[in-house]
Amino acid sequence: MPDGLLDTLRATVGPANVLTGVDLSPYVVEGRTPDAAVFPGSTEEVAAVVTLAAGAETPLVPWGGGTAASVGVPAARAGIVLDLARLNRLLEHEPGDLTATVEAGLTMAALQAALRGRGQWLSLDPADGERATVGGVLAANASGPRRHLYGTARDLLIGVTVVTAEGVVVKGGGKVVKNVAGYDLPKLFIGAWGTLGVIVEATLKLRPVPDAERLVCVGFDRLKDAGAAVRAVMGSDLIPNAVELLDAAAAAALGVTAPGAALLVGFDGLAEQVEWQCAELGRLAGALGGREPRALPPETWPRLAAGAAGPGAVAVMTFSVLPAQAAELMEQGADAARARGLQTAWAAHAGVGVVRATLASEAGRLEPGPVAAALAEWRELARAGGGQATLERAPLAVKALVPVWDDPGAGGRIMQRVKRELDPKNILNPGRFVAGI
Amino acid sequence: MYNPATMAALTATRKRELRRALEAIVGAPGVLSDPDELLVYESDGLTLFRALADFVVFPTSAEQVSAVVGLANRERMPFVARGAGTGLSGGCLPAEGGLVLSLMRMNRVLEVDYENHFAVVEPGLVNLHLSWTVGPRGFYYAPDPSSQQACTLGGNIANNSGGPHTLKYGVTTNHVLGLEVVMPDGEIVWLGGRTREASGYDLTGVFVGSEGTFGIATKIVVRILKKPQAVRTVLAVFDQIDQASAAVSAIIARGLVPAAVEMIDQLTIQAVEDAFGCGYPRDAAAALLVELDGLAVGMEAQAARIVEACRDAGAREVRAARDEAERQLLWKGRKSAFGAYGRVSPAYMVMDGVIPRTKLPYVLRRVNEIVAAHGLRVGNVFHAGDGNLHPNILYDPRTPGEEARVVAAGAEIMKLCAEVGGSISGEHGIGLEKSDFMPFIFSAADLALMQRLKNAFNPTGLCNPGKVFPTKKSCVEVGPVAHRPHAIEEKGLAQRF
Ligand SMILES: Cc1cc2nc3c(=O)[nH]c(=O)nc-3n(C[C@H](O)[C@H](O)[C@H](O)COP(=O)(O)OP(=O)(O)OC[C@H]3O[C@@H](n4cnc5c(N)ncnc54)[C@H](O)[C@@H]3O)c2cc1C
Repeated sequence: MPDGLLDTLRATVGPANVLTGVDLSPYVVEGRTPDAAVFPGSTEEVAAVVTLAAGAETPLVPWGGGTAASVGVPAARAGIVLDLARLNRLLEHEPGDLTATVEAGLTMAALQAALRGRGQWLSLDPADGERATVGGVLAANASGPRRHLYGTARDLLIGVTVVTAEGVVVKGGGKVVKNVAGYDLPKLFIGAWGTLGVIVEATLKLRPVPDAERLVCVGFDRLKDAGAAVRAVMGSDLIPNAVELLDAAAAAALGVTAPGAALLVGFDGLAEQVEWQCAELGRLAGALGGREPRALPPETWPRLAAGAAGPGAVAVMTFSVLPAQAAELMEQGADAARARGLQTAWAAHAGVGVVRATLASEAGRLEPGPVAAALAEWRELARAGGGQATLERAPLAVKALVPVWDDPGAGGRIMQRVKRELDPKNILNPGRFVAGI
Repeated sequence: MYNPATMAALTATRKRELRRALEAIVGAPGVLSDPDELLVYESDGLTLFRALADFVVFPTSAEQVSAVVGLANRERMPFVARGAGTGLSGGCLPAEGGLVLSLMRMNRVLEVDYENHFAVVEPGLVNLHLSWTVGPRGFYYAPDPSSQQACTLGGNIANNSGGPHTLKYGVTTNHVLGLEVVMPDGEIVWLGGRTREASGYDLTGVFVGSEGTFGIATKIVVRILKKPQAVRTVLAVFDQIDQASAAVSAIIARGLVPAAVEMIDQLTIQAVEDAFGCGYPRDAAAALLVELDGLAVGMEAQAARIVEACRDAGAREVRAARDEAERQLLWKGRKSAFGAYGRVSPAYMVMDGVIPRTKLPYVLRRVNEIVAAHGLRVGNVFHAGDGNLHPNILYDPRTPGEEARVVAAGAEIMKLCAEVGGSISGEHGIGLEKSDFMPFIFSAADLALMQRLKNAFNPTGLCNPGKVFPTKKSCVEVGPVAHRPHAIEEKGLAQRF
């Protein structure tokens, strides 16, 4: 970090809001310690910090709850952490408009608690809600089981305020639920992993809290049959809010006993609708070898969002495939790992074809070679069906062998142009994302 | 940058050369260059603006689109994609001359995957034809612009079009998974695909709604939905327009998300009843048409909540359509409003703005005041559930000065939408019409960022120039404002909301 930058940062946000030295331990990512962590207290201060960093050509790492800090290509230069924790206010919530405007550092749990008090919620349920912030969830495009019915951040974010890589405050979208004025900038910042701008404010569409909600589990002897049940549910009149497929290992990790696989389905709405749908699910699944459905406690929801987490996991890969291919990917992927002496746990938001797998080795000991080989084979399985895979978590030794992001194809060049236009000095999370971005 | 010299008439020799080059790509019958033939393509559904192309070409494949775009680049000629030309903001006009690529011959459904709920289509496919194709298997395509009998999926993608049922199901962007695009430099690329998530930035998401300025979509992957088990339609009648506005928020406050909530004001009701007799009470100040869909179980209970919310807001009458025939009649009243205005006024102009739903009572009052202050009348019929206004200003183009007052009133309404925290377009887009209104809601910095994004896709600016951003120079002719009905309206195929 250039001389004097630290002093200027302290002068900008106040000395108490700049951390250095041993205080930086929470920000150590993959063994790398940043030069400093800065806590701006307002959008203007974020802009000032970015301007200073841009002037000094020092990389910035926008930081929410840190829950996904290790996702991505390991950073070549550590740079400065820009922690948005102090930007944590719910700025506006007008229940009659079903919209809320929040600062990026607000945690998902705090937001949901405030909304719930007024009978509404943000229909986005990613993992780690206590720590994950709205800004981080948007930047990572994180989601949870209820995405089956309610979609993801791209379906809910209607307006965004960002500080650009040059320290300019810019707004995209607006505060109304329907809006086609200008380009859809909110889409650009969702899932951009903080490489195009620092999200400081977001306006989101809300939903009323349903009268009733229930999560039910149907056990199956074979994953294949559970997969067939997913297809049956998709082809039926049911309107589930979640369709989760878990193999035996993932089910066990969740505390659900299932002989071969578990199908977890969520329903919400009026009590009578939930009731009818649960019965209908029992009928559909029963015909395919499913056991009697049983209700799971509501605490299961957030743990589902975290996906399968077997013991001693050394790597996590997420996939996006066609929904009808999810079960097959799970079976073939488990076989490919088993052949290398590795254990796996697989869970899927099966109705939308988003699959998540954890890979564990005996006693948690890591041999990068076989792990990398299994991951590479998994990616090939997904790609063969037109899907793709992201290596979400893995030791550096494995990341050195398996690319974190899937190949974006010819679109990668457009992405690089977007990055160059928006961050010409390449200071926002440089090198972390796809195509060298 | 493109060469504005192309706006000057091409020399006869050059025109012949270019024509030959285009014919080599799409064949002789696929090229129009005769001024009489070109005239058909000089405007879209907003007849306020007109601009003549040098050529209109009809490619039949992505490769042909790419070759035409390549030629345009070599010749430094601007080019623009055109679907059915039902746009209402001048989006598909060749604002700076050059080429129009009509996608109407690329109109096939290429693939339908009923198991994974998506379809792959060509951009010239008419919106409703997709629902017709998948309908027999119990599916439909949800975004339903009122122009759906004519408008194309390509145009829908470009404008991120909406419709009455987008309240519950979302607008076009919420239904697009992937696109094959001919980039402004002619390269064919895929953005997104058939699966829910793609690697990297959401380029599909930013392409949708880019109004044809980021390239030309040649294949489109859209989600198709299962038809709901049950549908229920409720009509609520109010003596005060404020009560109807309040009922919209009351419905939402009761935790209901109807499929559609449409409002119709008195002027419109009377026009509709005079023309068609759909069963709306003529003396009502306003009516709400509320539609619920979903499971059959619980439908009655939800309808009861709607009825209760409307009654509490002061509705004098609330009734559910007894059968499909009555439901269709009510929707006909809603949808034939445009045709009905024709009976009470020689012309009208449709506005498109969005406001926070809770601001409806205030904004509707102000809209009426603004229009009255300009000595004009307005009929309101719109997507109340999502705050998407469509004030229709009635006027007589033969009365000197009246058009100018319509335009002035329209600008004030847009300002009003901006002031209450809304937007200047909910579904019709910015195009040529509203580019100068963009500063009402966006700062110079906001626009500069959008310009950079555009540069990443369209660095030469040759692809659909003169749109979205406040412009300096174009060949567009403006006015007289006289509204001419769009061909599909004349045929009674669609209504303007
Ligand atoms: C009677 C009537 C009713 C209407 N009702 C509604 C409504 O309810 N909701 C609503 O949202 N709109 C409505 N509209 C507006 C209009 O129908 C929509 O904007 C529609 O999506 C335009 O489709 P189109 O095929 O006619 O496109 P065009 O008008 O031909 O073009 C519109 C834009 O799309 C671009 N474009 C076309 N094809 C492509 C492609 N393949 N790739 C890239 N860009 C492309 C053009 O360049 C242009 O910018 C209505 C219009 C009329 C006349």
